[in-house]
Amino acid sequence: MKNRPINNLFIFLVFIFLYLPIIVLVVYSFNSSSMNILFENFTFKWYEEIFNNKELIESFLNTLMVAGISTVVSTILGTMAAYGLYKYNFPFKNLLNSLIYIPIVIPEIVLGISLLSIYTLMRLELGLHTIIISHIAFSIPFVIVSVRSALTRETITYEEAAKDLGASNFKIFKDIIIPIILPGIVSGATLAFTLSLDDVVISYFTAGPGSNTLPLYIYSMIKTGITPDVNALTTIMLLIVFIILTTIAIIQTRKIRKEAI
Amino acid sequence: MKKKDFGFKTIFILPIVIYTLVLIVLPIIYVLFLSFCTSDSYGGINYQFTIDNYINIFDITYIKMFVKSALIALVTTFICLLISYPFALILRRKSESVKNLATKLIMVPFLTNSLIRTYGWIILLRKNGVINNVLTGAGLIEFPLNLMYNKVGIIIGMVYTLLPFMLLPVCSAVFELDKNVIEAAKDLGAKPLQIFKNIILPQTISGAFNGSLMVFIPSIGYFFIADILGGGKTMIIGNLIKNQFLTARNWPFGSAISIFLIIITFALVKVYKRLGGKIEDLGGL
Amino acid sequence: MKKIVLLITILLILSGCSAKSYDGEVNVLNWTSYIPQEVIRDFENEYNIKVNYGTYSSNEELLAKISSSSSGTYDLIFPSDYMIELMIERDMIEPLDKTKLNNIDNINSLFLKQKFDKTNKYSLPFLAATTTIVVNRKNIKDPITSYNDLLKEEYKNNIIILDDQRIVIGMALQANGYSMNETDKDKLDNAKKWLLKLNKNIKAFDSDSPKTFLITNEVDLGVIWNAEAIIAKEENESIEIIYPKDGFALSLDNYAIVKKAKNKDNAYKFIDYLLRDDVSKKITEEYPYINTNKNCQNVSTDELKYILDNATYVENIGSNISTYDKIWAEIK
Repeated sequence: MKNRPINNLFIFLVFIFLYLPIIVLVVYSFNSSSMNILFENFTFKWYEEIFNNKELIESFLNTLMVAGISTVVSTILGTMAAYGLYKYNFPFKNLLNSLIYIPIVIPEIVLGISLLSIYTLMRLELGLHTIIISHIAFSIPFVIVSVRSALTRETITYEEAAKDLGASNFKIFKDIIIPIILPGIVSGATLAFTLSLDDVVISYFTAGPGSNTLPLYIYSMIKTGITPDVNALTTIMLLIVFIILTTIAIIQTRKIRKEAI
Repeated sequence: MKKKDFGFKTIFILPIVIYTLVLIVLPIIYVLFLSFCTSDSYGGINYQFTIDNYINIFDITYIKMFVKSALIALVTTFICLLISYPFALILRRKSESVKNLATKLIMVPFLTNSLIRTYGWIILLRKNGVINNVLTGAGLIEFPLNLMYNKVGIIIGMVYTLLPFMLLPVCSAVFELDKNVIEAAKDLGAKPLQIFKNIILPQTISGAFNGSLMVFIPSIGYFFIADILGGGKTMIIGNLIKNQFLTARNWPFGSAISIFLIIITFALVKVYKRLGGKIEDLGGL
Repeated sequence: MKKIVLLITILLILSGCSAKSYDGEVNVLNWTSYIPQEVIRDFENEYNIKVNYGTYSSNEELLAKISSSSSGTYDLIFPSDYMIELMIERDMIEPLDKTKLNNIDNINSLFLKQKFDKTNKYSLPFLAATTTIVVNRKNIKDPITSYNDLLKEEYKNNIIILDDQRIVIGMALQANGYSMNETDKDKLDNAKKWLLKLNKNIKAFDSDSPKTFLITNEVDLGVIWNAEAIIAKEENESIEIIYPKDGFALSLDNYAIVKKAKNKDNAYKFIDYLLRDDVSKKITEEYPYINTNKNCQNVSTDELKYILDNATYVENIGSNISTYDKIWAEIK
């Protein structure tokens, strides 16, 4: 395929498609009308309004907490599992290996209802904790996949060399393995965090009273019409994401330049 | 094995074994068990063996719904493929840093919740929404188009939400293509379509199927998109399961449909493996 | 990595700080768009009790939520008439201790002692709602008096309808001259055929906020709850509200306390608060359903009489619900 302008236009259009609804949300966060229909006047008032909306703040913090805890737990468990599955042999290992992929492939709704059923069976009260457990449940396999891709043959060589030098298992894991697979861990953790923030279906089934998270709050509002303070909050979230991404990009390019020198 | 090593192994293996048993195997077995129970009229579960729930699935009313749901999912998958291949082939020729940036930018929208983005589509698609206003304002159409509260709306929403899951695997498959083979084919006078059919497609088929799996399967279940952009008028399998669990309160029937979906999923994964796909690549975003 | 952990710890602490300390809590499950947020906030401030507020859009959803959650999850719920009967039958709600309700005398006796709970042992009325037809007279001039008038071909994609199977199938039954609680297979089959005809004209099913469709001019016709209709009319003067001559549904929603509720005392406090005149008034000012507080009557006595004489309650139909389920799946 030649490098024709029409080709670049296609790429551009795909990104427009991906960003269109977000752009609209951002634009309407500055709209003085509360209806999200016609753009009337420019205003910042919805950004102040966020702080008056107790429910919105609470659900946002809950969402961050769910994403934070489930990311930390699933990253630790997933990393350990990936290493364990890579290093050791044990009975039914192959079976375990394929069972782990189930949460990735089956429809989220099936995972949601099966977790709901099991919580009901165990008479577990639904709430934030059940959402967290559920998010851990679907994040672990994604972390394992990411970390596993970072565990290569090279790792074995290093590990054996260290063992010959008399390093303990724990030391090997801490000082040799972790640094090697760190990129895998980071991308696994990012994935877990992203999936948790994005999730609707699993939270919908495993939430209880008082466990308002952002998606549930928005779901209850979406038909009655979302107030623009939600748009404003989304805009702020996006802004933070872009700042973080740009910082990472800058750090990376600096690193590359340093290495080049 | 030394005792210490055994302890170390246990620390690394035991948690994942417990996790798999408690949060994957047990729930699915319980759902399988529920699917053979009977439900009384208002929601109780009777532990009495029956296969009626599975027979019920094959009722013409539900078969129609499954077909409709599968068609929506297929169209969604196909559109995603149609977008992803040209996208990947064009991007393949760009520099490494452009590729990196592009793949990052694909993921960014995910950091806002998918419901918020679906809501963004309501603002765009409704009768006096942004798109219709722009089109009527420009004099391109006389009456507003029906872009949502129908299947068009559902498909737009599904394609939008799931496109990244197709873009990423297709891109990574296409980026790995051997440049020289394509150049050689070109030199031999092969037409673009021939190159695509005979070289590109066979070498990227597992990536494409990977993406198709990650688009097709969720689009059977994303009830919230059907609810919001379809105006509650079109039920997909996801809505049916949701209703059985949260409204009609017929858990056994909902479980039977879920088991049915799991079987379909496993069958598709099997096909994927036949095509040379590796299970580790699924969901590797 | 350490930075990430630190960041998360900070977030956790932050989320901890935002939580004000309350003397207690009450878990409430209510219909969407039924109590304004302000009313709940005022209660929280006045009584220092946290209200965990969840919503549902149909009685069936409420039932499912109560029976699938472990006991003690919810305290106060607002089931309609037939659901009260069913919940009493299934031993899901507690007898009410009326001595804990100081404002009980505010209730209009017209709404007491209904046949689903003859002595009000388990329930007390909160608000009443009826279904009505709404028409945007700016775009539609034809006379409309019956559900059958909605079948006209020119109304394609122009109707908004409640997403509630009992109400919608009941409407189809009434359009055919049957009772809205019919269980006869043939009659239900006729209702289904009628609905399949109407289906082409339906733009969307929505119970949560059908008014939005009318306010934004998405549709010109609808069968929706009366309060939604009144709000739509406030926003758009050309909307007319019509009680169909075939009959219409009356839904009386009631306070009920769930069996084994953990915060019973707080639930009573919340009920008593909602029974207060000033609070009750605030609620129906925002969501103009029929107020059952005699000091806050918001419907003329004549209209109220007309409604009570002509409306029908949805009734518990037992296992026949599965036939309704199937018809519903077929329409959608």
